[in-house]
Amino acid sequence: MAEKNYYTIDPDGKLTCMKCGVRLEKGKAKFLYLDNGFPVELPVCPKCGFIYVPEELALGKVLSVEKALEDK
Amino acid sequence: MIEERASTHVYRQKRMFTKEELEAREHLCVHEQPPYCNAACPLKLDTKAMIAAVSAGDFDRALALYDKITPFPHILCALCEAPCEGKCKLHEVGEGVSIRELETAALRFGAPPKKRGLLRKKNKKAAIFGGDLFTLFLAGELCRKMYPVTVFCQQDGYAAFLRACASGMPEEILAASEQTLSRMDITFVWNTDPAEAFAEKNASFDLRCAAYDTAQLLFPGLAVDEAVMVCREHRLITGRTQGVLGAAFGAKKAALSADRLAQNLDPANTRGEEGSVETRLYTSLDGVSPSQRIPCTDRASAVAEAKRCIQCRCEECIKGCAYLQHYKKFPRILTREIYNNVSIIMGDHMMNKPINACSLCGQCSVLCPNGYDMAEVCHIARQNMVTTGKMPLAPHEFALMDMLFSNDEAFLCRPQPGYAQCKYVFFPGCQATAIAPATVRAAYLDLCQRLEGGVALMLGCCGAICDWAGRYEMYDDTVKFLDEQLARLGNPTVITGCPTCKKQLSSHAQLEIHGIWEILEAIGVPEKAKRLEKPVAVHDACGARGDKATQQSIRRIAESLGCQVTQTPYEGDKSPCCGYGGLTQYTNREVAKEMTDKCLERSDLPYLSYCMACRDRFAREGRESMHLLELVYGTSADHCPDISAKRYNRLSLKHHLLEEIWNEEVIAMDLGFTVAYTPEAEAMMDDRMILKTDVIRVLQSLRQTGEAIREENSGLLLTRARLGNVTFWVKYEEVDGGYRVHRAYSHRMNIVNRL
Repeated sequence: MAEKNYYTIDPDGKLTCMKCGVRLEKGKAKFLYLDNGFPVELPVCPKCGFIYVPEELALGKVLSVEKALEDK
Repeated sequence: MIEERASTHVYRQKRMFTKEELEAREHLCVHEQPPYCNAACPLKLDTKAMIAAVSAGDFDRALALYDKITPFPHILCALCEAPCEGKCKLHEVGEGVSIRELETAALRFGAPPKKRGLLRKKNKKAAIFGGDLFTLFLAGELCRKMYPVTVFCQQDGYAAFLRACASGMPEEILAASEQTLSRMDITFVWNTDPAEAFAEKNASFDLRCAAYDTAQLLFPGLAVDEAVMVCREHRLITGRTQGVLGAAFGAKKAALSADRLAQNLDPANTRGEEGSVETRLYTSLDGVSPSQRIPCTDRASAVAEAKRCIQCRCEECIKGCAYLQHYKKFPRILTREIYNNVSIIMGDHMMNKPINACSLCGQCSVLCPNGYDMAEVCHIARQNMVTTGKMPLAPHEFALMDMLFSNDEAFLCRPQPGYAQCKYVFFPGCQATAIAPATVRAAYLDLCQRLEGGVALMLGCCGAICDWAGRYEMYDDTVKFLDEQLARLGNPTVITGCPTCKKQLSSHAQLEIHGIWEILEAIGVPEKAKRLEKPVAVHDACGARGDKATQQSIRRIAESLGCQVTQTPYEGDKSPCCGYGGLTQYTNREVAKEMTDKCLERSDLPYLSYCMACRDRFAREGRESMHLLELVYGTSADHCPDISAKRYNRLSLKHHLLEEIWNEEVIAMDLGFTVAYTPEAEAMMDDRMILKTDVIRVLQSLRQTGEAIREENSGLLLTRARLGNVTFWVKYEEVDGGYRVHRAYSHRMNIVNRL
């Protein structure tokens, strides 16, 4: 069975890793917080594994999940 | 770095209070106590609500409320002794409300309430033998409870029966009551001798009730338990009552006994509180002017009379506190919800925000007539949640890190040059050094010059931050650290610049502690002190609550500098918090702003404070605001420094004084690159609690790892670094010799690759 993804962003070739000189691709990542894990798909560098968390994701969904978990 | 709690799957629990302590605390809150009029009424008429309905012109609702307490409102109203009127609070400043006249107006102008829902008749049958006021009311009460009721009486009809029961009643009352009675589902057996009927028929009824005279005839000398209106020996509901109120109340008690008897229970079983009660309510009459009764001749005059009612309630704490107003809860209910929040083992902690939003200022304990201390409840809850690992770090982390900065990188402790040990140590506090470094410098130089025996300097935090956060272990460490530093100085007399520091240090340091204002009063203000010849509102710091000497000292100094100190509401011990206390500024900006607004609504004048945090928060709201020491030393605080500037001020003050006073050279660290910020980035960082030092550390990490990405659309670069419990992202462009920062954001969640 395919693993569930809570969030998916496709970089559409608009992001480049400066260290490796390659474009970021949609890749598997996981948010971890207070002993909880959330699999997601985010722009990831295929060579060095740099994961990009966009501002709107950090201040939107990530923040609200953080707050919900903090009050658990 | 402060350790984040390990997991949400922590199932530890520690009770905040014992059940007895919780109840003892709750008992102090009288908000839910009945108003005086309502408490005096044995029938428990919701007088306050009824008067409010009349006041709103809603006579139908007023009548519905009145009708609830009795089946015969006309009779009750006409003859009621109205003990409620005598208890009206307004008597203390004028004439009380004419409650009976308002009841009469409700009967006159209100439409009778519609019949209650379709209830099923009960299968236990009730018989009433003989007619008096008590049995009349009892018939009505039993009928409302859906018992099939049969009345055996000598009279030949409703009118005669009513006349016999309620003698001397005006005709229109009788007519109205006749209508009410005839509409009730009661079977009357007219022209019957009640005693004979009892002998013949009583066996065929489950519940037997009798007028007192009839009962005496049947069982001479019978003993009645008046508390339940039952003669237990004969299982007969009866009793002697006085007046209409006594009869109506007796009938209520008797009807409840009928319920118990119908279930074969003892009539005294679980009856609850009956009759009039003593209330513990407190109602302030501040601002209530004396007024006289208005005769209720028509609707308008009844409404006018009802509007005189002050709707007695105790909201003393809520009136003064923005926090309680925000959550719209009074202390008893808030305490119970906080207690439950702390007690739950799994699930959402819905009250974390309110627990962390209280400024812990203690104003409630002064305003409450019984001294209810909501601050203590919130503080204990915070400590409890820290103990059990349920307190999130996020709301307090920035403030705690700031405190660690104050007591580490920005900490300074030095004796005055030329003195191995000093008689005094000046402890200005973390907010004064962050907001007004020039003032702190001037104060220290002045004290060194004018006090004999040497004045040491200690720049740091008193520990209030971790105390407010409930981090008691961290607080113990801070206390130990400060005590050690003071011991190194030879345990000198402490001169604090801040009333909260004075309060905090007094709780542990076994030393003499004075506020700088006390010293200034003793040695006089310096000659270059700035005079301010205008009216000001003095804002008392919550750290000085209960410290009358400090409050008065501040006023005397202000007046000596030309200030005309005006009186404001909620001054002195009643003063509200500016929104900084208890870390509200960090945990809940919305509530903190409401607290500041609450402080500022007290006066339109410039505000003079003696706590730098108050001074800063008032200035941010655009009010002319100054700290007493700014006047004393003729120096100005920085205008609303952002979070980075506050840290920079503390550090640069330390470096500056080390060079100026102790001739210690401070070598500035060269980053090796420049960092510039767009105005948008600066504002954004202040709002998002991201320090410039955080951004610099991210950029330093970038220079080591080279990890960054380029956004094709904007051409800007992005990098990130995990600093402690937070990942910081910086969006920047490379410029000559360094970076120009365009945006910055952060998240606490960690992100990792997965296969």
